[in-house]
Amino acid sequence: MSEERLVDVLFWVFAIGSVVTGYRVFRTDSMVRAAFYLLASFAAVGGILVLLGAEFLGMVLILMMAGEMLVMAIVMVMFMMNPAGLNPMWMVHQHRIAVAAGVVAFLAIASLGFLVDFPDQPNARPELATEQLGIELLGDSMLVFQTAGVALLSTMAGVVVLASRRGRYGIADEGSEEPPLQPDEVDLLGEEATP
Amino acid sequence: MRTYASPEFALLAVGFTMVVGIYVVAMLDHVVGGRVAARPLLWREIVAGPARSAALLIVQRRMTTERTDTPGWMLAPALFAALAATALALVPLGPDLVVADPETGFVVFSAAIAFVMIAVFLHGWSPNSALPLHGAYRYAAQALSFQIPFLLAMLATALPAESLSIVEIVAAQESAWNVVRQPLGLPIYLVVGLAVSFWGPLNLPDGADLAGGTSAEDSGIARLLWQAARAAMLVAIAAMGAAGFLGGWWGPWLSGIVWMLLKTVALLVLLIAAGHLLARVRIERFVVVAWVLLIPLALVNIFVSGAFLL
Repeated sequence: MSEERLVDVLFWVFAIGSVVTGYRVFRTDSMVRAAFYLLASFAAVGGILVLLGAEFLGMVLILMMAGEMLVMAIVMVMFMMNPAGLNPMWMVHQHRIAVAAGVVAFLAIASLGFLVDFPDQPNARPELATEQLGIELLGDSMLVFQTAGVALLSTMAGVVVLASRRGRYGIADEGSEEPPLQPDEVDLLGEEATP
Repeated sequence: MRTYASPEFALLAVGFTMVVGIYVVAMLDHVVGGRVAARPLLWREIVAGPARSAALLIVQRRMTTERTDTPGWMLAPALFAALAATALALVPLGPDLVVADPETGFVVFSAAIAFVMIAVFLHGWSPNSALPLHGAYRYAAQALSFQIPFLLAMLATALPAESLSIVEIVAAQESAWNVVRQPLGLPIYLVVGLAVSFWGPLNLPDGADLAGGTSAEDSGIARLLWQAARAAMLVAIAAMGAAGFLGGWWGPWLSGIVWMLLKTVALLVLLIAAGHLLARVRIERFVVVAWVLLIPLALVNIFVSGAFLL
């Protein structure tokens, strides 16, 4: 098989694979499976990026998504009253609106493929694409990326602070404490035990 | 243009390396374990023991649990083995002797390591059973903790080479091996390597304290494949350690391939001996050590090696 033919076959495998697994995200009945289907979809998009010559971006997408999807699966399971995500559940709410929104969004994005005037002169694959990307990231675009990075970091810190304020044993600033372990100290009516 | 072997040669070479590597790990495990426990070692046992255990698992009856995620359970060992194969394909035995040398070899290797946590989580989640699920959660905590020290320790080796290609990382070690230039790198990498392939003291997801953890419900050929994939990943870790830190093919008198094989086997013996000599670490302690100790050490390592290059 020639190299061009192989690239074509791989492109269609990744393209169809990403759409099918993306569809399965909403049709499966488990949060963990949904997260892993989404991961498969992202990995296929990463494969397409590699085919386009953006080797570094494609591989980094695949690398980052593994951790992110696992964290997402665990956090979803933690917030839902569904032990370990093993019980079947619907992955969509408000079915009609969800279907309509999904179809409209897909058509809007897919129409770009037909409406945009793509350049028809193929560019030679750059020899040092990774190096060029690095010089771009730490050169002209450094301010943009550093700003985005700091904004994301502060968002993460803020989310943790907001989410952890109210713990299992009360609000953190009011001093939440675990109930004592000795049975005679526990008030059976469920009120706070007085020290 | 970067080096890529033909698909036929790549399949053959990686498959052969995996089979031999897995067998060597099984034999070394037997020998080192026997040495540590002062058991008498018989040649017959060393050479034929792994084959006998494998044959036993192949003919063993398959057991299953209730309402499993069957595709996920079947996918997990295959995915793990594929990740080990990907990692092995990136390790060069000589300047021109490599299956694949992409411009972003380091990133591809890291992506393979990151996906191990998906394989292990899937393996523990899909049997629909309590102890495997515990193992899966443990590995999620373990993997998210070792990911950053691993990336930082490996990234430091890319600094002197000014390239992410593994071949160039090895080529840049002609004057001095990275283990000399970056003394913190190899210890961090080896700790993380034990954690990636959950071996010995860091066998938390599949530990005996969970009755086998994620593989508690495995039986027959599925168990064999899972253990084989884990051993193959250990070989990949040792080989990449030899390439990234011990100078790969560089060395006096002997030819490059011999040096590479010797260094890989030396690291394998070290990793396997750690499994027999060190007690299992608790997951809480490992997570704390990874975030509080290993990440700052890896950062110091990267800053110091960066400062030397300026």
